[in-house]
Amino acid sequence: MIKTSELDQNFKYEIAKEPGGENIKKCFNCTGCTVGCPVTEIDKNYNPRMILRKALLGMRKEVLTDDSLWLCASCYICYERCPQDVKITEVIGAIRAIAQREAKAGKIKISNTKPVFDNLFIDSVKSNGKWYEAGVSGTFMLKTKGIGGAIGYAPMGFELFKKGKLSILPHKIKGTKEIKRIFEEVEKK
Amino acid sequence: MKLAYYPGCTLHGTAREYDASTKAVCKAADIELVEIEDWNCCGALEAIFDKELSMGLSARNNFKAQKTGLDLVIPCSICSHNLSRADSAMKNDPSFRKKIEKALGEEYKGVKLKHLLDVIVNDVGTDAISKKFVKSLKGIKAVAYYGCLLVRPSEVSKFDNPENPMSLDNLIKATGADCLPFTQKTKCCGGNLLMSKQDYAFILTKKLFDEAKAAGANCVVVACPMCHMLLDGQQTMIEKANNTKIEMPVLYFTQLIGLAMGLSEKELELDKNMVSPAKVIGAIGKGETKAEAKVQAKPAEAEAAE
Repeated sequence: MIKTSELDQNFKYEIAKEPGGENIKKCFNCTGCTVGCPVTEIDKNYNPRMILRKALLGMRKEVLTDDSLWLCASCYICYERCPQDVKITEVIGAIRAIAQREAKAGKIKISNTKPVFDNLFIDSVKSNGKWYEAGVSGTFMLKTKGIGGAIGYAPMGFELFKKGKLSILPHKIKGTKEIKRIFEEVEKK
Repeated sequence: MKLAYYPGCTLHGTAREYDASTKAVCKAADIELVEIEDWNCCGALEAIFDKELSMGLSARNNFKAQKTGLDLVIPCSICSHNLSRADSAMKNDPSFRKKIEKALGEEYKGVKLKHLLDVIVNDVGTDAISKKFVKSLKGIKAVAYYGCLLVRPSEVSKFDNPENPMSLDNLIKATGADCLPFTQKTKCCGGNLLMSKQDYAFILTKKLFDEAKAAGANCVVVACPMCHMLLDGQQTMIEKANNTKIEMPVLYFTQLIGLAMGLSEKELELDKNMVSPAKVIGAIGKGETKAEAKVQAKPAEAEAAE
């Protein structure tokens, strides 16, 4: 049951202020996003229309803590088909940004491991300018699945290594200072 | 034709055969590629929760390309999506432009950039490139898999129909190979969920193989390293998860047209694909095309009826 007293009327404006979230208020809940969604096809509990509806109603905590938020595969089918140009894939990205900040501040807990991987990826780009596949994947497995998970990943890593497709060490670009400046500039709101 | 070249991280790693075959095919097609200096990661889809960061990282590469004075070609669908988006944001969003110009201390004028498939089928042209084909790939029965970002969203990728693209189908047909109808051609392989929700990624990729098999394909042709990572790189894992055999070679479109151009398997790094393409290469020149099969089947049916 939805309790109107618990709704955060400001939530949709909060999302609209986030880069990528600007068009959320245009949604008229036609369900076009959901009928074409490949993830909905295999998991009927995943419903992008519902994420948007809940966000528009102001069900802030429920949206930010729902595992669904991390199941979007960023395939852009909904983005392409949306008659209201809501740019749903990017709205989901904007809501994820809010969820990550809330989690960092200790206000919510995110159980899905997607942000763990994304952050390791971004950190490796921040320090090297390129993504460090072996390091990021290995650390991710260790962090989320323990030593067993990391060992389970090893045979795949070894096959890639044998083919000359996986580098043990990271590649660093020369312009890492420029990368740091880009991070600093976009972090300023 | 001379173009600036942005390979992106995967082409120097897990997708090295895409890099090698891109260079070999472009050389054979008289396209000179100049790799842009000291390029960086575009942020891939992992930076989707930080749109400005994703576009900012991508924009630095556009600055590098701008210095060459050439148009830019990108073989990866994700990189090409990100760099295109960054280029239009730099042109249309003054506050974003200000931030990035400040960070890099340069002025942005803009760069023309395209996915490699777009360059091959539109700038070179499917007809013109097929004049370089010296060997018919008759015997190959392919499905063209476009995936997501190669053709979507159409406000970013403008070169083909986002719902039913045909450019890759037509290029495959020009090699003499069959290109079979494939309703999954723009469905998602789940690549972005591979690390966090592997079971979903595997179900999504398995669906592609199921239809490719049902269509009678002996290979899948792709134009994105992420799609290739799932379909080729993860294929044995998907077989294990489903206790089945798939054994479907997955070629980059550059490897396929490289074969038609008479380039060697070594140049195209066909030994680097995780699923051996030996079976599909062995099928070249054997069997008949679908049209011929129909013609031959008719007299046989008539005999049987008698």
